[in-house]
Amino acid sequence: MERRFHCTACGKCCYGKLPLTLNDAVANAERFPLAMMWTTIRQGAKSFAINARLGTCVKLGKRKQVAVQITPVSYLPPSLPCPALAPDGLCSIHADKPSRCRTMPFYPYREEGDQSDQLVPRKGWLCETSGEAPVVYLNKKIVHREDFERERRRLMDQTPVLRAYADGLMANAPNVAAAIEKEAKKPRGGFVILNFTAIVSRLPQIDMAAFAQKQLPVLTGLADKTAGMSDAAEFHQYYRDSAKGMERFLERL
Amino acid sequence: MTLCPCGSGQDLDGCCGPIINGAPAPTAEALMRSRYTAFALGDIGYLADTLSPDIRGGFDQVEAESTANDAKWRGLEVRAVTDGGEDDEAGSVEFMARFKLRGKQRVHHELAEFRREKGRWMCVGGQMDPKGPPRQVVKVGRNEPCPCGSGKKHKKCCGA
Repeated sequence: MERRFHCTACGKCCYGKLPLTLNDAVANAERFPLAMMWTTIRQGAKSFAINARLGTCVKLGKRKQVAVQITPVSYLPPSLPCPALAPDGLCSIHADKPSRCRTMPFYPYREEGDQSDQLVPRKGWLCETSGEAPVVYLNKKIVHREDFERERRRLMDQTPVLRAYADGLMANAPNVAAAIEKEAKKPRGGFVILNFTAIVSRLPQIDMAAFAQKQLPVLTGLADKTAGMSDAAEFHQYYRDSAKGMERFLERL
Repeated sequence: MTLCPCGSGQDLDGCCGPIINGAPAPTAEALMRSRYTAFALGDIGYLADTLSPDIRGGFDQVEAESTANDAKWRGLEVRAVTDGGEDDEAGSVEFMARFKLRGKQRVHHELAEFRREKGRWMCVGGQMDPKGPPRQVVKVGRNEPCPCGSGKKHKKCCGA
């Protein structure tokens, strides 16, 4: 079975939430509104094992458990374009764009053999998948695998940090544990959005003040932009609350 | 006079105030109380400084700033203190801190662990919503003497 795909640079996938590696997130703190996204993946789902390995696993009751994908995200509502998308419709940071963008359309939070869904253009996207396009996926193997493997490797490398962060919150923040349990009960799983700063404080090489100074203008800008947007209420709330915390933190220094 | 937020009934300047300003806390409980007071006063830097460096990375100062800003503190209740006295090196304090956040009443119930590090009390960790020791129930057989001491069989006395 061969699958063909060619990116036409239509820019349609450059909208809404974008998962990032920790390094890509921190490196783009002056550009993306950062948050942590926890997504539950039920036992028995195809991507359960890989997500349990890259993220963490949470016990629910005696026998049940749920995998939790923990990923930094550029947290944008579906109607807003990536801040790096230039007016000409192209990526303004193409040379050093995040590994998530580089690996598209493949997705390392799924097994390599489970990528065919990723090659179906979503509604409105202009990906080329006809006979003209080159073969990118052959017999459940990715043909040019460098980007996929590099992203996967980076995700594996950051797992210990994510796990320490997740274990800390699950033990000390009853509201987080309760929220995850609630999402895990939904038949298709769900997600929870948490502050990005909780992981920054665990990265000894990152200075929180320097981070906050880069991130604050992004958050306040988006808080203004999303004010009154009916489909972005929870985004607006997040930008406002995080910005307020950062402002007070910086004031006190 | 300003009443100390920790609920000791004393003046802030004679209770948690000096500790927050740098005087060493004599006991683990005094440190715990001063941490509550600091949170109520919005002094997040003090909260970070009184955490042992081992666990400081797990404390998100930015989020704490926004919580401190939004929360209305409703009182502190110290439920149990184990060691942590003036001559001890370690101790624990179980407490409940009540507050209102974004329209909801909340309770922070924690069994916090403290240790003296370089002579100063530091918070070294804690357990949220700690469970008490399991309840021991002794089963009395129907034909055994009644535990009330009447000399009758249990089934003829209290167990009837």
